[in-house]
Amino acid sequence: MISAERPQGTSVGKSVRSHEAPRHASGRGHFVDDYRLPGMLHAAVLRSPHPHARIVGFDVTEALGLPGMVAVLTPDDVRSMSRPFAPGRYAAGLRTPVPEYASAVDKVRYVGEPVAAVAARDAATAEDALDRIVVEYEPLPPVVGTSEAMRRDAPLLYEELGTNVPWRGAVSYGDVDAAFREAELVVRDRLKMHRYSSVPLETFACIASADPTNATLTVWVNAQVPDVIDDALREGLGLRDVRIIIPDIGGGFGQKIHLIRKYVLITALLSLKTSRPVKWVEDRSGHMMAGGHACAQEWDVEAAVQRDGTVLGLRVRETDDVGGSISTLTIHFTNKLNNLFNTYTTQHLSLEGSSVVTNKCPVVPNRGIGKPGMCFVWERTMDRVAQTLGMSPVEVRTVNLIPSDQFPYQTPNGNIYDSGDYAGMLRRAMERIGYEELREEQARLREQGRCLGVGLAVAVEPGGRNAARDLALFPGIKGVSGSGGVNGATIRLERSGMVTLLLGSPNCGQSHETTTSQIVGDVLGLSPDRISVISPFDSEVAPWGSAAANSGNNFHLYDIGAAHDAARKLRERILTLAGHLLNTDPEDLVLEDGAVSRRSRGTPDQDGVGPSHAPSPHSPTPRLTFAELGRVAYGNQALLPKGFEPGLQETSYYTFPHAEPFVVPDEQGRVRAQFTFSAAVHIAVVEVDPATGEVEVQRYLIVSDNGTIINPSVVDGQIYGSAAHGISVALGEAFVYDEDGRLLTLTLTDYGKSTALETPRIEVEHRPMPSPFTTLGQKAAGEGAAIPSPAAIASAVEDALQPFGVRVRELPLTPEAIWRLIGSSAR
Amino acid sequence: MTSEAPVKHAVRVQVNERQYEEEVEGRRLLVHFLRETLGLTGTHVGCVVGECGACSVLLDGSVVKSCLVLAVQADGRAVVTIEGLERNGSLHPLQESFVSRYGLQCGYCTPGMILTALDLLARNPRPTEDDIRHGLAGNLCMCTGYMQIVEAVREAATVLAGATPDLA
Ligand code: FES
Ligand code: FES
Repeated sequence: MISAERPQGTSVGKSVRSHEAPRHASGRGHFVDDYRLPGMLHAAVLRSPHPHARIVGFDVTEALGLPGMVAVLTPDDVRSMSRPFAPGRYAAGLRTPVPEYASAVDKVRYVGEPVAAVAARDAATAEDALDRIVVEYEPLPPVVGTSEAMRRDAPLLYEELGTNVPWRGAVSYGDVDAAFREAELVVRDRLKMHRYSSVPLETFACIASADPTNATLTVWVNAQVPDVIDDALREGLGLRDVRIIIPDIGGGFGQKIHLIRKYVLITALLSLKTSRPVKWVEDRSGHMMAGGHACAQEWDVEAAVQRDGTVLGLRVRETDDVGGSISTLTIHFTNKLNNLFNTYTTQHLSLEGSSVVTNKCPVVPNRGIGKPGMCFVWERTMDRVAQTLGMSPVEVRTVNLIPSDQFPYQTPNGNIYDSGDYAGMLRRAMERIGYEELREEQARLREQGRCLGVGLAVAVEPGGRNAARDLALFPGIKGVSGSGGVNGATIRLERSGMVTLLLGSPNCGQSHETTTSQIVGDVLGLSPDRISVISPFDSEVAPWGSAAANSGNNFHLYDIGAAHDAARKLRERILTLAGHLLNTDPEDLVLEDGAVSRRSRGTPDQDGVGPSHAPSPHSPTPRLTFAELGRVAYGNQALLPKGFEPGLQETSYYTFPHAEPFVVPDEQGRVRAQFTFSAAVHIAVVEVDPATGEVEVQRYLIVSDNGTIINPSVVDGQIYGSAAHGISVALGEAFVYDEDGRLLTLTLTDYGKSTALETPRIEVEHRPMPSPFTTLGQKAAGEGAAIPSPAAIASAVEDALQPFGVRVRELPLTPEAIWRLIGSSAR
Repeated sequence: MTSEAPVKHAVRVQVNERQYEEEVEGRRLLVHFLRETLGLTGTHVGCVVGECGACSVLLDGSVVKSCLVLAVQADGRAVVTIEGLERNGSLHPLQESFVSRYGLQCGYCTPGMILTALDLLARNPRPTEDDIRHGLAGNLCMCTGYMQIVEAVREAATVLAGATPDLA
C-alpha cells in the first residue's frame, strides 16, 4: 500500500530560495489592477443602501449625460443580456430553484448588493456617475437575526420559497439514540460563532475584454477557483470561448471563490455592451459589505458521556445564518463532514442543520469553511465534559483520541485518516509548554487576583477535496458534483536545456512555484532555481481539472501529485533519449546537475558497454547536458531513437489513487469528504485583565503534523498565518450589524483586524507523520491552524476566568464581551 | 451639471531619483499618481483610507501612506517607492531578507512593509522585536501572521549594521 517513492534529489525538506518572493519584494508582482489594456474603460458598481427593498424605478439619464461616461448596466440589461447562475452544489438543498443573477433585478436583500454598474473613461468619472443614477426603492422590513427570520410572521426574503428557512437536513452515523440511552450522563451546551472573514489585502479585481463579433471573452481576475468563473461566464453569457487569466492574487483564503463571479459577470456585461475592455476594482467598504462573510453558526450540543470521560455520542443541532443569498445555503454545514469526528473515537453522531436567510451579506468559504465551527463544538464540549467530571481537559481528550496504532483509521462517516499520533502530539505539547508548572503559576497568580489561563484544542486538518462529498446529503446533484478530483501539470525540457513547469491551478501566496520546483527538481536532478514555473494561470494553456482550486487544501495532493508524475515521465524520456545517444542502458545513467551521465562506480567499469562510448579510466565520463538533449529533441531528427516522439514535454493528470472506498457515498451516507488528514495540538496561554476584559496571549504553541514537509519555511508560514487569523477571530474580528441590518464595520479598523502588535508570537514544533497514500507522504498545510485556534483561545479565556465561574460559549471575546461575562456570572 | 474639464495642477516631483513633471487633478491621490500616471505599480492599494499601509512610500525620507497624500502635496518633494530600492540589479538588503526569510506570502503588503521597515531601521538601526512590531503596526498583513516579517526585518538590521546575521 505504501507507494511513496522518494525522489533522489536533495531539495525536498529544505527552505530553498523562493521563486515568488523576489518579484514581490521588488514590486514586480503582477496583480490584476496592475494590468492596463488599450482603450480600457473603468467600472464602478452601484450598491444597495437598503438591507431589504424592492426596486421600483430606475433612471440613468443624468448619469449618461456626464462627460466621460460610456455605459450603464441596469437590472433590465442584466436580465436581458445574461442568464441566472445555475444552482451549484451549495444550493442543492433548495426545493424550488431561485434564479440569481449577477446583480439584484427586482429586490435587494443586503446592504451593498450590486444593483447597477457603469463604465467610464476613468475610475473617478465612474464613481461620479454612480451619484447620478436614480434608483427608486420601496423599503421592506429587514430581517436581521435568525430567530426573528424563523418567526411565522417574519417578512420573507424570497416570497417564492414561502419561508426564510430554505433548507433543513441532517446526517446521522452510528446509533445515536442508543449511545444516549447507554450513557452515564449527558453534557449539554449552547454555542455560537460569529461572522468574520479573512479580508484579503487585495480586494476583488477583474478586467474583461469581450469580442462580440467573435463571441469570445478574456478575463483577468483574482479568483481562486477557475471553474467557478468559467461556469458563470459560459452559462451566464452563453459564450463558448472564455479565457481566464489569473495573475498574482493578493490573498484569497476562500473569499475569492464565490461572490467574485457576480462581479466578473457584471464587468463582462459592460465589456460586451461597450465592445471595450473594462476594469473593475472593488473598494474596501464594498468588500466588507458584500465580498462575503463566514457564516454565523449556532449549536445546541448534547454529549453522551461515561464517567471515565469517554464520549459515546454527540447530538448537534446547527443553525446557520447564511445572509441574503441562496447560492451558498449549505456550505458551512456540508463542510463539517470533513472533520465531523475530529480526532476522536466517538462512534455515534448526528448533525441536524437549518439554513436561515437574513438581510445580511451572503456567506462564503473562509479558511476551513465550517471546520473551525465543528472543531469549536468538539473542543468546547471536551472542556465541558472535563469540568462536569472534574477531570483535566488533557485527560478527557486523551481518553477519546484515536490511538496511534489504529491508522489508517476509518471514521463512522467514511473518512479515512491516513496517519497520525494525536496522543503523542498532545504529550509533547504539554511537555514543551510546561503544563504542570503553568498550573502552579496559575494558582500563585490567582492568589494575587490575576487571571492566567491555559487553553487547549486538538484538530484534524483535512486536505484534498472529494467532489462527491455533498452527494451524501443531496443524492440528486450527481451532474453538478463529479467525484474525487483531477488536476494536471505539464513539464518541458526546453531547447535551451531549461525546464519549465506549468501548473493546473492558480495560487495566492502559498509558494506553489517554489514547492513544485523542488519536487520536480529532485526528480530530474536539477536545482530548483533552474526550473521556471509558468505564471500567470491561463485557462487555455494550463492542464486543469476539477481540483484546480486554490481551495480545499487541494494543492498538496493534486498539484504536487501531477507535477511529480509529469516529472517522472519526463525523466523516463530523457533517459531513453540519452541512453540512445550515449549508447548505454538507461538503467546505467544518472541525472545530475542538468546533465545525464553514466553512473560512476568508483572503479573502471567492468560491465559491457557500447563500443563507441566506452570510457577509459582516463577519459571524461560520457555526459550529455540538458541543452544538448534539447537540441536533439527539437531539431535533430537523425539522432532520435526509432519511434521516439520528438520534443521533451509531458503532461500528467492526477487523481488520488487511494480514493476508494467511499469516493461516492454508500447507502449509509459514508463518503470520503477529503483524502488526507494533517493534525495539530494548539495550546494558548493567556492573561485576562478582569477589570478591562483585555486578553494578552502570552504564549501560543502549535505541535503540528503536516506529513512530509517539502519546504519548512512555507509550511511554517501557512501555520503562522492561519493561527494568527484564528486568534484574531477569537479575540475581536467581527462583522457587526445594527438591528436595522446596516453593517457597522465598514473599515479594517472597525472590523478589528489584529496588527503586528496584537498578534502573538507563535511557536511551532513539527511532528510529521507521513501519509502512506500520497506521492511523498505530504499532507495539507493551509487552512490548518485557523481550524483549532478559535477553540484554543476560548478554552484559555474560560480557564483564566475560572474564579468567576465563567463559561465561554461564543466568540468573539472582545474586552466588552469578557467584561460582560464576568459581570453576569460573578455577582 | 459640471461639464467643464477639471482644473489641472502642475506637479514637479522626484520619484526614485528621477524628475517628473505632470499635470494632475487636484483630487488625485499620490498613490494613484504613482500607479497610474507614472506606471509604478509596486505601490499597492488595500483600503485608500490610511488603514492598511499597502500604499506606504517614502516622502522626503519619511514613510507616508500615499493614499492619504494628494499628488499636488508631493510637489517639489522626493518620493521613494519599492521600485527605487534596487542597486545595479541587486536587491536592497532589506528586500533580500524578505526573500531569504520568507517574509511574505501573497506579496501584496510587501512593498509597503519594506518601505515602512526601511524608515524604522533608519530611525532605529538596532530594533528589538517589540520595536519592530510597533514600527509595523500601521501595516496590515493578512497572510503571514507577521512572524517571518519580523524575522526578516531583524535579519536586515543585522546585515545593515555590518554584522553577520544570527541564523539560529
Ligand atoms: S491603501 Fe493606503 S493605507 Fe490602505
Ligand atoms: S503577504 Fe499577503 S498580505 Fe502580507
